[in-house]
Amino acid sequence: MKNREKRGYIKRILAKRGMGQVITVTIGLIAMVVVFSFLNPFFLTSRNISNLLRQIAPTLITGIGQSYVLITGNIDLSIGSVVGMSCMMSATLMTKGVNPWAAVAITYVAALAMGFLNGQLISKAKLPAFIATLGTMTIARGIAQIVNNNYNTDSIGKAGEGFMNFFYYGKTFGLYNTIWIAFVLWLIFNFILSQTRTGRHLYAVGSNIHAAHLSGVNIPATITKAYLVSAFCSCTVGLITTAISGMGTMDAGTSYELYAVAASVIGGVSTLGGQGILLGTVIGAAIWGVLQNGLQFAGAPVAIRNIVIGVIVIITVLLDIVVRYNKKAGRRQAAAPGTQASV
Amino acid sequence: MSEYIVEMHNISKSFPGVQALDGVSFTLKAGEVLGLLGENGAGKSTLMKILSGVYTKDEGTIKVLGQPVEHLTPHSAQRLGIAMINQELNLCDHLSVAQNIFLGREIIRRGRLAEREMNAEAARLLDDFQIDIDPETLVGDLPVSKRQLVEISKALAQNAKILIMDEPTSALTAKEIQNLFAIIKRLKKKGCGIVYISHRLEELQHVVDRIMILRDGKYIIDKPFQETNLDEIISYMVGREITEKYPRVETERGQKIFEVRNLNAGRLVKNVSFSLYEGEILGIAGLMGSGRTETLRAIFGADPKESGQIFIHGEEVAISCPEDAIRAGVVLVPEDRGRDGLCTRLSVRENIGLPNLDHIVNRLTVVNHKREQEITEQAVDSFNIRLASEESLAESLSGGNQQKVVIGKWLARDSKVVMFDEPTRGIDVGSKVEIYQIMNELKQRSIGVVFVSSELPEILGISDRILVMADGRITKELNVQEATQDLILHYATQFEKKLDAAEQIEVG
Repeated sequence: MKNREKRGYIKRILAKRGMGQVITVTIGLIAMVVVFSFLNPFFLTSRNISNLLRQIAPTLITGIGQSYVLITGNIDLSIGSVVGMSCMMSATLMTKGVNPWAAVAITYVAALAMGFLNGQLISKAKLPAFIATLGTMTIARGIAQIVNNNYNTDSIGKAGEGFMNFFYYGKTFGLYNTIWIAFVLWLIFNFILSQTRTGRHLYAVGSNIHAAHLSGVNIPATITKAYLVSAFCSCTVGLITTAISGMGTMDAGTSYELYAVAASVIGGVSTLGGQGILLGTVIGAAIWGVLQNGLQFAGAPVAIRNIVIGVIVIITVLLDIVVRYNKKAGRRQAAAPGTQASV
Repeated sequence: MSEYIVEMHNISKSFPGVQALDGVSFTLKAGEVLGLLGENGAGKSTLMKILSGVYTKDEGTIKVLGQPVEHLTPHSAQRLGIAMINQELNLCDHLSVAQNIFLGREIIRRGRLAEREMNAEAARLLDDFQIDIDPETLVGDLPVSKRQLVEISKALAQNAKILIMDEPTSALTAKEIQNLFAIIKRLKKKGCGIVYISHRLEELQHVVDRIMILRDGKYIIDKPFQETNLDEIISYMVGREITEKYPRVETERGQKIFEVRNLNAGRLVKNVSFSLYEGEILGIAGLMGSGRTETLRAIFGADPKESGQIFIHGEEVAISCPEDAIRAGVVLVPEDRGRDGLCTRLSVRENIGLPNLDHIVNRLTVVNHKREQEITEQAVDSFNIRLASEESLAESLSGGNQQKVVIGKWLARDSKVVMFDEPTRGIDVGSKVEIYQIMNELKQRSIGVVFVSSELPEILGISDRILVMADGRITKELNVQEATQDLILHYATQFEKKLDAAEQIEVG
């Protein structure tokens, strides 16, 4: 009890929830970077790094949203479709002559409505998250198809140039704007998750929803907030997608929800809720991007890339389960003599 | 000091099929510790859950601190200063001790969680009550006894005036119990009222000022603790009228069929040994949490065993999963039929077929529906299961008929030992008698019957021999001729003497 105050700063960081897994995967990430830079001398050029970071950004942003939802013990399958919906909606509005920034605002409202619907269906109507977001996933994809009568849009043209630069092509302080967007969103959402009451309640709901309820936590509000964050992130990625190609594509964002789960889980966010930090999601997204980019650079065909990445996702989660199982078994054995002693 | 801080009058509450509370009145004074006592299902927890807002009452009035309150929710009860420390722990494993203590009442400074302030505040509280836990540890990393202390600290941190403790010592070590009693005494001095629910009667003398006893949802008596003694308390707790008739069949006790030697499985199964003979029904009595269900589950292989041997007809069998047990002829009729006993969305035929598929499939594992139909009809006939057709969903049957389907599926193969866990819970009187008759029939067919029940009259009415359990150990074996309700309850409350042991250590 006496050395309670004397905890060192480093020890305090290490003791932080989920830090162990983050450190493990960071070492893995560094190892991958080393291997790829040996395989290809161009891997570590500033140009490739810059491209790589921009490639990672969408995975990171959707990963942030998915992490929020996973921490509450739920899942968001609608991410990819909301990306597609946001892409098609913003592009359609712009090709119809709406001011690009007004189009952006309208698109955010639509995406947030989808997030709100998810949150209410799950927390108020008590639908399983898997089913509710499977439904909204299909609905959002349908909206993506209907807004421009089942066609991809034309180019958003000259009027959209400012928009395209803001979300993708422009640079600020020598770094692509997309990277800055991801960085700023990460700072904001990391702050909310780790430093505010809302963040604390997200963890509590995912850890033990019953205890949270009895402690006076507003369960529907908390779960809905998580889905609003997820929808906001998906919409941002949708807008980035529009900016990349300068047009709306109906199947934009397909499977992004699963990449987001992968980034979160590699980074130590538990799919069972209550556990994980956004620092981990950054590393998870980086591993995802480095593998894609590095394997491509090394000349591996798409099929091989998919297999390697799939194997890595399974191994990281498996490692986590093994570590946790051993820890639990150790605790149980440590507890047993104590109870015996009291006889 | 004699002012009432809680007054509950004529509280009634019923659940489907059960009158849990019937016009119970209850009072609590400031600065007193009230021991709320009664057998399993007497209504103690229900009454306290009404006071803490978890359940709503059907009838009656509640006054807290002199003010009438109508609609209590967990949240409003908390604001009134009522805190309940539950037996099942309500903590978030992934949050630290301090974070749990402040959950729902976080301290915010400039829009941020004041983590350091909350840690310091929690540390102060824990130090103050001499609880040796680091507030920054994750709750999931703590052993059960420490978690219980965190739960208690959480209630203390809310400055509750009324504390309800439901079996607070069941997971604690001797030193921690003494510490808890010291805390209770301090809270008393501060003018808090404490309701102390416990089956551990010998503990009461250390803390309790007054006792109140419930039986079958009715108020029986309240009395200053000084003016009573444990024997009197036990006689008030039992005294249940035996209203049902129990069909008893006398058979000759035959050979030993089944033996369990030194079985250990977790905290609630410690060194359990017993034998079972042909032509007898063995009853297992004990209070809630005494390890009866856990013993049956460990024998059946549903929970892992740490050590122990099992013999059938003198030969040792290795049982590490239910499949092994079924193959060896040892089967379990579980307590929760809907969850563990039946696939409720499958038909009666499919349910009866399921554990017997090894007998009714051909070499290519194609199910022989005719065979399945035959064994189902046989079961329906021999146990008098009332149903529209064999294709009815199991969930559409009444409780008693569901229970008969569970029994039927096990007897369609030649099982040697049938273990029943609370076989008559929640079924009507007529079906109960039919279940007893089935048990008697098994007894006559030389099939071993083990049955766990919380109903003492039932245990006394049906068993030939009775094992009494407490704290995971068998504390007594009784023949039915010598057994009485008082005697069973006496042995069911023979808990491990944590406190006496601790006192001896202090003296030595």
